[in-house]
Amino acid sequence: MKNVNFIYPNGTHALKNISLNVDKGEFLAIMGQNGAGKTTLIRTLNGLLRPSKGVIYIEGEDISLKTVATLSKRVGIIFQNPMHQLFSNTIEDELKFSLKNLGLNKEEITVNINTFLEKFNLSKYRDRSPLNLSGGESKKLAIASIICRDPRILVFDEPTLGQDAKEIKFFIDLINHELTKNKTIVVVTHNVEFTIEYVPRTVLMAQGKIIADGPTKDVLSNEILLKESSLIMPQVYQLKNELKNIGFDIPEEIYRESDMINFLSSYLKQIKLDEDNN
Amino acid sequence: MSLEFLNAFKFLKKQSFVHKLDPRTKLLLAIVYTINALLYTEIIPLFLVFLTLIPLILIGKLFKQWIKSIRGLSFLYLIIIILNTLFIEEKGFSFAISMVIRISIMISAFSIFFLTVDPNELALSFISMKIPYEFAFSFSLAFRFVPTIAMEAQNIIDAQQSRGFEMQKKGILSQIKNLFPLLVPLIISSIKRAFNVAEALESRAFGSKKKRSFYFTIKFSLKDWVVSIFLLFFLILLIYIRIQFNFMPEWFAWSFPI
Amino acid sequence: MCLIKFEDFYFRYKGNEEYALNNINLKIDQNKFILLAGETGSGKTTLIRCMNGLIPQFYAGYYKGFVEVAGKDTTKTPIADLSTEVGIVFQNPENQLIAMNVEHEIAFGMENLGLERDAIKKKLDYVIRLTEIETITEKAPFEISGGEQQRVAIASILVLDPKIIVLDEPTANLDPLFAQKIIMLLKKIQEEKELTVIISEHRMDLVLPLVDEIILMKEGKIIAHNKKEYIINGKDFEKLKINKPRIYSIFKSLKSESLIQNNIPVSITEAIEILKNLK
Repeated sequence: MKNVNFIYPNGTHALKNISLNVDKGEFLAIMGQNGAGKTTLIRTLNGLLRPSKGVIYIEGEDISLKTVATLSKRVGIIFQNPMHQLFSNTIEDELKFSLKNLGLNKEEITVNINTFLEKFNLSKYRDRSPLNLSGGESKKLAIASIICRDPRILVFDEPTLGQDAKEIKFFIDLINHELTKNKTIVVVTHNVEFTIEYVPRTVLMAQGKIIADGPTKDVLSNEILLKESSLIMPQVYQLKNELKNIGFDIPEEIYRESDMINFLSSYLKQIKLDEDNN
Repeated sequence: MSLEFLNAFKFLKKQSFVHKLDPRTKLLLAIVYTINALLYTEIIPLFLVFLTLIPLILIGKLFKQWIKSIRGLSFLYLIIIILNTLFIEEKGFSFAISMVIRISIMISAFSIFFLTVDPNELALSFISMKIPYEFAFSFSLAFRFVPTIAMEAQNIIDAQQSRGFEMQKKGILSQIKNLFPLLVPLIISSIKRAFNVAEALESRAFGSKKKRSFYFTIKFSLKDWVVSIFLLFFLILLIYIRIQFNFMPEWFAWSFPI
Repeated sequence: MCLIKFEDFYFRYKGNEEYALNNINLKIDQNKFILLAGETGSGKTTLIRCMNGLIPQFYAGYYKGFVEVAGKDTTKTPIADLSTEVGIVFQNPENQLIAMNVEHEIAFGMENLGLERDAIKKKLDYVIRLTEIETITEKAPFEISGGEQQRVAIASILVLDPKIIVLDEPTANLDPLFAQKIIMLLKKIQEEKELTVIISEHRMDLVLPLVDEIILMKEGKIIAHNKKEYIINGKDFEKLKINKPRIYSIFKSLKSESLIQNNIPVSITEAIEILKNLK
């Protein structure tokens, strides 16, 4: 993506000179305030919106002349609200709709549907209406309806919003599995705790510009940048900073939950040992 | 595909003489202009009537949105012109042009109305015309949710296109079938929204048996009287000309040779 | 004084076989900040709808048992009459705002109750100040940010002077910082007006430090309701698959290794306090 600009017909300059390089197999988070341009940005990736200026390359190819239908085979965007795409009578039909325009034959489609229903624990609901699914399940179905088309780039818009620990766990397992297949994954999210724990790279946007791009552990430790994006610092960092303030000698490398547990537990064990020795 | 043309009817808060007029005055304006447009089939008088709307659009700072709504209709205009020219033997093109001007007058007059009338005030003016509050309220509610639902529709289109759904397909049947992936989610989420809205209304004492009070009021002021009387004179004048049409100068009935 | 009372209450939605609420017994007092927590689909929203009579008056279904709010039976008292006792703020602010400008929005509930113009004016000014929305009173709902929309929704409920405000995931669609501001605002309002606030919320890291009590729900039942300290250190909280704050998970794990004996902290300040004392 090079020097991409996007101006809405009403004059809003939603993207200002965005340049971004994402490698194959990368896992990336895009964060920032509502209205920072995140949703506009992801909509340019499969041609739903076309940049007013600048060029977007997907796998080295300029996409400006390709249709959304063609691009959607390569770039799968999973939008926030699953209810915006589920319409079929049964869950099976829902997946069939996604697979139909991929040019597969009947058997391939059936095999594919079975695999994905299994993978997403939805087999038992096969003949049910998508409307009768719970929030978590319909989100799963929406994800399945994109992933079954096997796009090489997956884009998720707020995947953890309103989801429980259990559902988030399922989601992260799924992403890890897709990453082993060398897929590129982009997640748009507000969830700093999720990002710091799982996503290696973070792009921070504000007012249509990229204000930071780098390893998540660096981006999310910067108080000024976070404030500009209306984000709250991950709790491990908050704790780390407070501990420093009261004189703890705490290594820079701690940023995940497990790091903090290890650090504190060895620290506390040491205290215990000292006490026992006395 | 975009639903941009809806902007032509979306109320925008602005400060102008037209915005400050009472909704009833602007409703009268829309009605008077509709009648004016229907009175004539000749190009010149229709065009003159159309010209009188331009200053209003400029005073109301509505030029941009108005152009958009006219542009949104350009396809329809094209069809009217082609069909009429082809199928009406005598002066088909002239007839088509006057039809186009006629539609433009009506659309412009109503878009002035919708663009400058706050739906809340609209509800109040309905009440002042003795229409029950519930009806007036649901009318203003419908307006309030136009942008919300337009945005939702756009999101649905985006979501479906992202899974390979193609908007343009050939053949009437497949076009109708093609609407399901868009309409079903839209209808379902609109029903859900309706429940949410109703729930929120109930929770705020809507429909309480007590007599409702009104914190905001509208006033028919001097400028409304002036404008309304002017509008009525204008209407009477045009009706008079219609009746006396044969006594008007010849150029008044001018038309294209085809 | 007991404000809300559920006694052996059951409810199932029309067309559903399963009970969405199963044998609910609950008592809620005045002047409390309460978190309602549970996995998605555990019945939180259904429980909330029972608190102002939306269930069973607006949502059809079968119910058994008894719910009383401020001494009024919610199955019989009209919802409009209950609205001055309990105010509900819903998840999506967009769907609660029905007027074309903020001032009108806030006046709406009072107009429904038939209040005099002067009384409306007075309350309007007070609530606009309380919810800190002075700068946007002239704007339309789609011109303001999500955080501002939710403030307006809260203001439009506050003008009805309820004794209880219930919020169903009010910050789900907001940026974290704005979400935090909304929750702090609620705490301020709760303390200033001595109300009871019940909030169902996914962002537990933001609410937990502020609440007095926690209600835990699972599969349509209330599995625990107690002071925050008891719940946090209990097994039920541990077992539920809800989004617990990172700080909780860290100290929970330290505690299970018996490295600390204290209560599990839910805020950074509490955590620092514990570690300071061990030093």
